[in-house]
Amino acid sequence: MIKVANLSKRIGDVQALNDLSFEALDGQITGLLGPNGAGKTTCLRTVFGLLKPDNGTAEIDGIDVAKFPVEAKQQLGLFPDPFGLYERLTPREYVSYFAELNGLPRAQAKAAAASVLNKLHMDDIADRKCKGFSQGQRMKTALAQAIVHEPTNIILDEPTRGLDVMSTRVLRDLLKDLKAAGHCVLFSSHVMQEVAALCDRVIVMAQGKVVAIGSPEQLCQQTGKASLEDAFIELIGTDEGIAA
Amino acid sequence: MINTIIAMVRKELIDAARDKRSVMAGLYYAIGAPLMMCGMFMLLIGQITSPEALNITITHGERAPDLVKFLASDDISQGDKADRKEIELIISQDYASNMAKSRAAELTLIADNSNEKLQSSIRRIEKSLQQYSAEMGSLRLIARGIDPKVVQPIKVTIEDQATSDSKGGMILGIAIFMMVYAVFISGMNLAIDTSAGERERNSLALLLSHPVSTRDIVLAKVTAVTIFAMLGLILTLIISKIAYGFVPWQELGFSVNITPDFIGLMLVIGLPIALMAASLQLFVSFMAKSFKEAQSYLTIVLIVPMMLSMAASYNIAPDTLQWLPVSGQMQALIAFIKGKEIPQMQLLLSSATTLAITLALMFGMERSLKSEKIVFGL
Repeated sequence: MIKVANLSKRIGDVQALNDLSFEALDGQITGLLGPNGAGKTTCLRTVFGLLKPDNGTAEIDGIDVAKFPVEAKQQLGLFPDPFGLYERLTPREYVSYFAELNGLPRAQAKAAAASVLNKLHMDDIADRKCKGFSQGQRMKTALAQAIVHEPTNIILDEPTRGLDVMSTRVLRDLLKDLKAAGHCVLFSSHVMQEVAALCDRVIVMAQGKVVAIGSPEQLCQQTGKASLEDAFIELIGTDEGIAA
Repeated sequence: MINTIIAMVRKELIDAARDKRSVMAGLYYAIGAPLMMCGMFMLLIGQITSPEALNITITHGERAPDLVKFLASDDISQGDKADRKEIELIISQDYASNMAKSRAAELTLIADNSNEKLQSSIRRIEKSLQQYSAEMGSLRLIARGIDPKVVQPIKVTIEDQATSDSKGGMILGIAIFMMVYAVFISGMNLAIDTSAGERERNSLALLLSHPVSTRDIVLAKVTAVTIFAMLGLILTLIISKIAYGFVPWQELGFSVNITPDFIGLMLVIGLPIALMAASLQLFVSFMAKSFKEAQSYLTIVLIVPMMLSMAASYNIAPDTLQWLPVSGQMQALIAFIKGKEIPQMQLLLSSATTLAITLALMFGMERSLKSEKIVFGL
């Protein structure tokens, strides 16, 4: 479970987060929806303890990230944007390295890496260096890294950006599997179809604030619109920065 | 905790070993520098030591056969025309008659005195001629029944206290500095790659998102860079040992002999310097915004150890420099090669300052990795 309460963060002259509060529950896929510059990435970085909030707290399974960063992060898997691959390592080395960083002993880390690579159908590229990988292959590697240590909470920053249909499907199926296994999945996006197709709960963000929370259907009802896209525009009050 | 550090060090080393740029930077220096030094020393030694036979032009040698014979016994002769130095000795027309009448017989020595290369040769000829002159004078006095000692009121005995190894301090300083510098050069590319490069590739934020403390990250990175630096040092020492065997040290009267003892001492002394070099380079690279910026900063930063070591080998600086990092250790190494006693107190203190600086830099890095500005390069 990821819980964010009264988060505020100022970066330069911009109030990136403005008294932001929400929860993402276990066994659910929660979407963080907002236009470009709404503060989605800032919010996720704060949850990871990379940014320090001026105000408010972020908790993972009840552990305060600011106070116990290592313990809190052990319950987290991150699919970052950009991916941050080590181009000279192979996916197998890359994934088992991060498994070790999450406290798995070496032998176990290797086994976990092998199983997650198999699960993502990456056996054919598992021992090639990441340099020269396609966007889809990179995405899979980053995804394997995020779930290799089987964290209870998984955060994905703009996961579908730049992916083709096949890769998007792989990702979508995996997120559904994770949800079925009782994980808490939180992802940020500005792509309506993704959010509508996947999310149990949608948190609509604009200018660092939560504008609305609810299932896609609830949001449509609330605004009286037929599609999530129209509901979204109604909620944030402008159509600026929305990818169809 | 220790396991994650080992995992990080292992990953850094695998990553670096596959990075051609990092490996090459270390290799070029470790192989190139000793060979260049070797070539330079050979040229230098060839210049400052006069070869055994000195060939000059002697004009009208037939006028003074005895003098020519005397010079020849000193290995100064006409020799092959091609080998002759640009020094000419002219014997005057009335040399023989003046000599017979006990008057000053005139010789003319023509040479370019400003030419560094001829200096020692000219001095050698002058000395030889004076010797001949003194010998002739003594003979004349004896012929007149006077003890030649009468005209030698003072007898100066010069005792050269320089042991053969204590000469050539400059050459020693350069040779040892070249080895110490290996520690700075070999790990430099890895240091930049794993800090500024890591941020540029966006993997730094990912790494920091994992449950590892920034202290562990700093420890792992410093360890990895230090291992690279020490490997560079070992390689440099091995290549130096082979290359310096070809330098004709005996002509200088001392030798830079890279014994197993010296290699051991160098590695022990080099380790704190390698640690400092690693943390200094990482610290500076984390401050830089990009790989290229880090490279240009480091080029400037690397002048500092160079200056410290110069101060050590030229004795231009005050004694306090002996306590500073790099220069203190270099003086200990120079003392060891010269066969003198190692100044232990000084070595201990400079090693301690080296480690203190290392700790301060690591601490600074640990803190900077918690700063948003550094992590995201804002």
